[in-house]
Amino acid sequence: MKGLFKSKPRTPVDVVRQTRDLLIYASSGSDIRESKREEKMAELCKNIREMKQILYGNSESEPVSEACAQLTQEFFRQNTMRLLITCLPKLNLEARKDATQIIANLQRQQVQSKLIASDYLEANMDLLDILISGYENTDMALHYGAMLRECIRHQTIARYVLESQHMKKFFDYIQLPNFDIAADAAATFKELLVRHKSTVAEFLSKNYDWFFADYNSKLLESSNYITRRQAIKLLVDILLDRSNSVVMTKYVSSRDNLRILMNLLRESSKSIQIEAFHVFKLFAANQNKPPDIVSILVANRSKLLRLFADLKTDKEDEQFEADKTQVVREIVALEPRDR
Amino acid sequence: MATRDHEPEESSKKIQYPLDAKAYKILDEIGVGVSAVVYKAICVPMDSILVAIKAIDLDQSRADLENVRRETKTMSLISHPNVLRAHCSFNVDCRLWVVMPFMSCGSLQSIISSSFPDGLPEPCIAIVLKETLNALSYLHNQGHLHRDVKAGNILIDSDGSVKLADFGVSASIYETNTAPGWGQSTSSSPLMLTDVAGTPYWMAPEVIHSHNGYSLKADIWSFGITALELAHGRPPLSNLPPSKSLLMKITKRFRFSDYETKKNFKSKKFSKAFKDMVASCLHQDPSNRPSAEKLLKHFFFKNCKGTDFLVKNLLHGLPSVEERFKGGKNSHKNGSDGEDTGSELVKQRRISGWNFNEEGFQMEPVFPTEAKDDTVVKQVRFGGETIIPDNKSSGSDYSGQCNLSSPKQDGEEAQVVTQGESEGDNRELTASASESMGGSGGDGGEVDREAMVGGLVALRRSLDEQRQQVSNMIVLLGGEVSREDQLVQLNDRLRMELEAEKQKNFELEMELEFLKLQISGAYNSGGTD
Repeated sequence: MKGLFKSKPRTPVDVVRQTRDLLIYASSGSDIRESKREEKMAELCKNIREMKQILYGNSESEPVSEACAQLTQEFFRQNTMRLLITCLPKLNLEARKDATQIIANLQRQQVQSKLIASDYLEANMDLLDILISGYENTDMALHYGAMLRECIRHQTIARYVLESQHMKKFFDYIQLPNFDIAADAAATFKELLVRHKSTVAEFLSKNYDWFFADYNSKLLESSNYITRRQAIKLLVDILLDRSNSVVMTKYVSSRDNLRILMNLLRESSKSIQIEAFHVFKLFAANQNKPPDIVSILVANRSKLLRLFADLKTDKEDEQFEADKTQVVREIVALEPRDR
Repeated sequence: MATRDHEPEESSKKIQYPLDAKAYKILDEIGVGVSAVVYKAICVPMDSILVAIKAIDLDQSRADLENVRRETKTMSLISHPNVLRAHCSFNVDCRLWVVMPFMSCGSLQSIISSSFPDGLPEPCIAIVLKETLNALSYLHNQGHLHRDVKAGNILIDSDGSVKLADFGVSASIYETNTAPGWGQSTSSSPLMLTDVAGTPYWMAPEVIHSHNGYSLKADIWSFGITALELAHGRPPLSNLPPSKSLLMKITKRFRFSDYETKKNFKSKKFSKAFKDMVASCLHQDPSNRPSAEKLLKHFFFKNCKGTDFLVKNLLHGLPSVEERFKGGKNSHKNGSDGEDTGSELVKQRRISGWNFNEEGFQMEPVFPTEAKDDTVVKQVRFGGETIIPDNKSSGSDYSGQCNLSSPKQDGEEAQVVTQGESEGDNRELTASASESMGGSGGDGGEVDREAMVGGLVALRRSLDEQRQQVSNMIVLLGGEVSREDQLVQLNDRLRMELEAEKQKNFELEMELEFLKLQISGAYNSGGTD
C-alpha cells in the first residue's frame, strides 16, 4: 500500500485541507447517493488517521517538527478545529479517538514558539461550551472530555471555564452513574482547580460562598463513595496549596466545615479518613481558632484522641505521624470553656 | 474499517447496560485477586444475558483512582472482536463493578491447568496465538501497550472466540505526558514508558531493566513467552543453574521443580515454523522483534484453522469455569480463572538475561551465578503498582549490586570474619563485580562507566575495611603486634629519648651559664682590680 502512494507524497498542508473539505461535506446534509457518501466518510477517516501519524509518528518513524508546525498552522488558519469537533458524532469510534488525540496534541504544538491553539480558542470560546456539554452525551463524553482537559491547559481558557456557568454543572457530572464519565468529569474538575494557581485563587475568593456550599453539600456529603473520596482528596490539594492560603484560613474558621470533616473522619473507608485528617489538621493548627471551633474540639476531645490513636497509614509515613502528634498536642492543650 | 453511512453511529454506540447493581443477579464466584473478585452473573432486564462482573474494592486497592479510571476508559473505548470490552462500569458502595461479556470457557491458563497440564496441541496454539495477535496489532495501532500478555489473560468463549482481557496495567504511549504516574520518565523519547508492570515470567528484559524505557515490543516478548506457556503448559523457568537459594525460592513458590524432571515434553514435536516464530519474538534486542502486524504474516499462521477447530478439540468436555475455580481454590495452585491471579505474585528476584534455546524450545533465564543475589536490586510489585528501585540512583543495577555486596553498608552482612573467610569474601566481591560487568555488556550493549566507577569505589572501600578487620583479627589472636601498637611504642620511646635529650640540653645550658658567670666574674674582678 505504501508503494502506491509514494508517487505523490502529500504535504501536511494538503492533508489538513482535504480533511477540512471532507468535514464540510460531512457536516452538510447529504444530497448525494449513499455509496458516494460512504466513500467520502472512509476517506475522511483515512485523512484523520494520517494527521495523527504526522503528529505522533508511527512504529517506524518519529514525528518531524517541521511537518507538525505546518500542520498546526494550516489547522488553525481556518476553522478545522470547529468542524472536527462538531462532526465528531458522525465519525466512527476509531476516527473519534484519532481526532481526540489530534486535538490534544495540537494544544501543545508551538509555531515560532507561540501556542497558536490558545489564540484560536480565545477567539472561539463557544467551542468549550460544546465540549463541556459533551458530558451529557454518553457517546461523546470521553472524547470531548479528553479534548477539554487539553484545552484548559491554556490559562485564559481555564479562566473562561471557571468563570462560566458550566462550573456549577460539574458538581452533577462528577456524580453521573456511569463511572467512566463521572471519573473523566472529576479529572477535568480537578485540573481546573489546581493547574493555574493564580487564576484558581482568584476564582475561589470571588466565588467562595456558593462554591464551598456546593462542595460540601453535593460532594463531601454525597452518598456516592467515589464522589466523597475524590472530593476530599481534591480539597486537601486546594487547601494545602500556598496560593490558596486566604481561602484556607476562611475555610477552617467555619464550624459547619468542621462538622463535615469530623463526619468524614468517622468513615469506615481508610482512604477517606486519611485524607480527611489532612484537612482536619488545618482546623487544629489554626492559631486563631474561633470560640465555636474550640468548643466543638473540646467537647469531642476524647473521641478525637481515641480516633487518632487508631488512625494509621498502610505504609509507614513519618510526616503523617508527626502531623498527628502535633494535632493531638493542640487538642490536648485546648482550654476547656465549660469548666 | 466499516464506515457505512448510518453504521458509524451504531458501531461505536454501545448497547447501554443498566448502571445499577439491582439489575444484576450474581450466580457464582469465578475468580479472585488481591482487591478484586470476578463473578458470573446475569443481567435481568437484558433477557438475563450472562455477564462477568469484576468487582474492584477501591478502598483496598492501593492503585489510586486515576489508574482505575484509565483502565476502564481504555476498556470502554476499545472495539475489536479479539479484545474484551467492558459493557459498563459503575460503583456499588466502595466497589467498582466492571460489567463484561461472560467468556464461558474461561482463561487458557485455567483450561491448561485443568485439562492440558503438558500444553496444548500445536494447531490449537496457532489459532489462539493468531487471534491474540489480532488483538495486539489493534491495540498497538491505537498506541496501547497491553503489558500483561499471558495465557491467564486470554479468554475463550464457548463458540471458540478468543479475547485478550485485563487492562489492569495497560498504558497508552500517547498519554505519557499527561498521566501523572508516568511523569518521571527519564527517557527522551515520548513513546517510551519507564515504569515496571506485568507478571514476572512474561516480562521482557527491557521491562525488568526498565531504566532504558520500553515500548510496544515488550508485548511481543510476552507474546513469545505465552506461546511457550501454551506449548509446555507453564511459562519457562526451567534448567535454572544450581544457584541454591534462588532456585529454592522459585521452586518452593511456583512448583517448577517438575518442569525439569519431567522430560516428556522434549519428546513433543513442534514444527520448525512455530519455533522460528517464537524465536523471533524472544530477541534480546526489542528492535529485532517483529511488530504484531508483521508477525501475523509469519508462515506459522498461514494455514491456521478456524475457531470452530478450538470448539471441537479444546473446549469439548471441559469442566465449567466455576468448577475449575473451585477446584483450583482447593488445591491452591494456579487453578483459578486467570483474571487476577497474576497480580497476587509479589516477589523479589533478578534475572540478568534470557537465552532462548530454539532447539529445546525453551527459555533459559540467566541468573547471576552469585549466591549473593538475595540482596535483590529491584523490588518488583504487581497489581498495577509501580516498582520501587532499591537503590536511590535508580540508574543501574550494577552499582547497586556492588554497594549491596559491600559488607559494611549492608548491616546484615557486616560480620566478624576470620582471616580465611574474609579472604573468601573478597574473592566473592570481585566475582560479583565482574559478573555485573558481564551482565551490563549483555543487555545494554555498553558498560555504564559511572556505575562501574561507583562500583569499584565501593569495592575498594570494602577492601580497606576488610583489611582493617583482618589486622584486628590478627591482633586479637595475638599473632603479631599491630603497626599501630608499634607506632605507639616507638612514639613512647622517642618521647623518652626526647625527654632525655631535653634534660641533657638543659644541663648543658646550665653549665654554659655557670661558665659564663665564672668568666665574667673573672673579667670583672680582673678589670676592677
